Amino acid sequence: MSEIADAHGGQIHHPGAATYLTIAAFLVVLTAMEITVFYVHALHPVLVPVLMVLAAAKFALVAMFYMHLKYDKWLLTGVFVFPLIIATLLLVSLILLFAYLSNHMAPIG
Amino acid sequence: MAAQPKTLPAHQPSYLEGGGILGWLTTIDHKRVAVMYLVSALFFMALGGFEAMAIRVQLWRPDNHALSAATYNAFFTMHGTTMVFLVVMPLLLGFFGNFMIPLQIGARDVAFPRLNALSFWLALIAGILLHLGWIRGGLPDAGWFGYANLTERYFTPGLAIDWWVIGLLVSGASTVLTGLNFLTTIIAMRAPGMTYMRMPMFMWSLMATSILILIAFPALTIGLIFLLFDRFFDTHFYVASAGATPILWQHLFWLFGHPEVYIMALPAFGIISEVIPTFSRKPLFGYPMMAYSICLIAFLSYGVWGHHMFATGMGPVADSAFAVTSMLIAIPTGVKIFSWIATVWGGSLRMTTAFYFALGMLLEFTVGGLSGIMHASAPIDLQQTDSYFVVAHFHYVLFGGVMFTIMSAFYYWWPKITGRMLDERLGKWHFWLTVVGFNLTFFPMHFLGMWGMPRRTYTYGADMGWTHLNQLETIGAFILGVAFLFFYVNIFKSLASRERAPADPWDGRSLEWSTPSPPPAYNFATIPQVRGRDAWWILKYGRAGSRGVAAYMSGRAPSQPQPSEPPSVEDIHIPAPSIFPLVLSLGVGTMGLGLIIDWYRIIFIGVAVMVLSIIGMGFEYADFGEESHDPEHAPSSGGVDVRKIGMWSFIGSECVFFASLISTFIVYKSRSFSGPGPQILNIPLTSFSTFILLMSSLLMVLALAATQRGDKRWERIWLGGVIAFGLIFLGGQVYEFTSFYHEGMGLTTNLFSQSFFVLVGFHGAHVAIGVLWLSVLLAAAMMGKLGQSRALSVELVGLYWHFVDVVWIIIFTLVYLMQAVPGA
Repeated sequence: MSEIADAHGGQIHHPGAATYLTIAAFLVVLTAMEITVFYVHALHPVLVPVLMVLAAAKFALVAMFYMHLKYDKWLLTGVFVFPLIIATLLLVSLILLFAYLSNHMAPIG
Repeated sequence: MAAQPKTLPAHQPSYLEGGGILGWLTTIDHKRVAVMYLVSALFFMALGGFEAMAIRVQLWRPDNHALSAATYNAFFTMHGTTMVFLVVMPLLLGFFGNFMIPLQIGARDVAFPRLNALSFWLALIAGILLHLGWIRGGLPDAGWFGYANLTERYFTPGLAIDWWVIGLLVSGASTVLTGLNFLTTIIAMRAPGMTYMRMPMFMWSLMATSILILIAFPALTIGLIFLLFDRFFDTHFYVASAGATPILWQHLFWLFGHPEVYIMALPAFGIISEVIPTFSRKPLFGYPMMAYSICLIAFLSYGVWGHHMFATGMGPVADSAFAVTSMLIAIPTGVKIFSWIATVWGGSLRMTTAFYFALGMLLEFTVGGLSGIMHASAPIDLQQTDSYFVVAHFHYVLFGGVMFTIMSAFYYWWPKITGRMLDERLGKWHFWLTVVGFNLTFFPMHFLGMWGMPRRTYTYGADMGWTHLNQLETIGAFILGVAFLFFYVNIFKSLASRERAPADPWDGRSLEWSTPSPPPAYNFATIPQVRGRDAWWILKYGRAGSRGVAAYMSGRAPSQPQPSEPPSVEDIHIPAPSIFPLVLSLGVGTMGLGLIIDWYRIIFIGVAVMVLSIIGMGFEYADFGEESHDPEHAPSSGGVDVRKIGMWSFIGSECVFFASLISTFIVYKSRSFSGPGPQILNIPLTSFSTFILLMSSLLMVLALAATQRGDKRWERIWLGGVIAFGLIFLGGQVYEFTSFYHEGMGLTTNLFSQSFFVLVGFHGAHVAIGVLWLSVLLAAAMMGKLGQSRALSVELVGLYWHFVDVVWIIIFTLVYLMQAVPGA
């Protein structure tokens, strides 16, 4: 597989076209799986966990290979992953806090 | 034939010399930018102080009407807003941070000098917008945290809140750019040898603060955007009668608001950690624990916002969780207090005004910290909520902790910044009047709060028994006002003085004291080599620890290390001035002004100025962005270009931005009373759009690969492909939105529609910006200005594009696939 030297310093190597195409194929397959899960009613009981796993896989593939986190310095991964974790915690916290609010407050309107 | 290098002249002109007014308007020198922050903040501090005095005059006696109720509301709102956004943050970050970061880490400037200037001009524009209500529409009057739904147009018509919303949005953008810049600078541009564990503690605090800014401000931005939509486009994000909840604003505001307290407190902790060792002539006690404490405080501060909301009824589990995290913060904070005391203990103390204020901060902040622990307990907090006890608490933290530190920093760094000393005698008067005035003003508030006096109350009855303590507070406030007069007089006296400050008047420990006072534009003739903590002390005395102290105590004269070899003027890399930060900020201000006064031509002019400025900035330097740095300019980046670190920092901040939007959508999607719901979503169309966007990411990496191998033909083809796919995606979104509109779902139809349109619309706006950015790069490629040596420009837009792609992956799953199935 051809590896191309980075323009600055030549120390960091990005993958070549073959890797990029392989990742693209994975992304297409995973998206197709998502849509399949959506349309197959028998799979609806496990829709949420399956879709979340598939989305996480696509997210990771793009971040690691197209955004080159797999090849770049760990520093950049840290700069990205820390706020990503914070954002995820924020998302979950707000959903849980408002779920409590919805369940324990009298409806308005 | 190359020009012969010139050696440095004997007189090194300071950064303050030369350039005239145009030089200041176009400056991107971090020191000049810092001075502009100072001038702006001192003006707003006087204004905020005047508002505080007016508040105290109103509360002087029962049933007083010195101010109208409306003016009183406006003054306490603007006092808080001004002090937080236009005084404390600009002073700590814009002034001291900007000035000191490159000097303390041994760099010539910040990572993105033009962005730095842009941050200042945006901050100034924000300050002006926030105060334009004096001229038209009235001042904002809903409190500094502008609780919904008081801020809705139904309850507060007119322009006052509009100024506040737009002003804070611009201020937030300025602060995020500052955070991104500072973080990148501290990570990447430390001098050789300056490892993280050798950084001055002020740098640790600013690094943590910058991270906090990047993850906290997006929540405020989203909260303000919802409010803007409610006020300008008739949505109902905070309108209970439409099924929404005003509590959403409180969560979004305090998700920003509590970290904001530490965004102000952490730099203060860092400054105190510089002042105390210098005037104790001892290394900072427990340096590693101090650094870890800063990190822990920053991390915990993001998980405590709920303690501002105990009274809203979040439930016992949430209350307990927020109580625990709030109490935990006391541990690292206590570590810092004890470390400062241990640093002073046994030291050879030099009782300067700077040190007085530092010691004052230790005492006053501790009082505020102790009452803060009370607020962490939900049952106690419920008794204190919205009472004057809270006012006492946060003034002991923000004035006693932060403003005392700012004053200490003024006396400490003023000689370095201006080349002149502040008068110590006036300084001592300033200090003692501040101590007396501050405690007289704020300590009685604890009692008034416990006796039931509500905060923000316009007046009170004579039978409440609050009169004498209120009068004591007003007297204290006037003493405080006199103290500030001493400060301002001291500043003007110092500036008028001809007596020059020495380079190192306090026998300092960090690198800024190795430069002349005031420093030259390039800071360091040669980038210093750092051999340990307290880098300048080591250069002077040989050792940082007890041996260095022994050397000092034995009367050994400090050596003044010279640059290893005289550099040439041409060798020193100083960023060129630029007018674009100022023009871009004016465009932003014009756009905001047009939005508020509802004059669309003004908006278009503002947008046009912004777009042209951004394009101008893109082509101003050779690399379609920030100018490239010479290798010595980013010695600690580990080979990673600073622009790449900056882009990743921005992307990290965007994660929180979109998380706030997505969580709102999930909370609101099923709370609509009428109109279409998630069933309206067109899965086949968005599946196709998803495929298109994923494939555009493939083309993007292929474009980068082509650029890196110097294949100009395929570089253009792939870039064109990405643009085409981006346009197809946007076309699909336009079609989708139009069809929803025809099916009866507009922006304001219900909570589902508004949260959907705002979320997906913002993602679409990001795609559109990406397409514009790519088009500029394609134009550059067509003109032959791209190519292998500028592959980083393609990589940067690629990172942005891929991020937009991964956000869509999440939106496609959470917003479309999961929501379109009933019960999912």
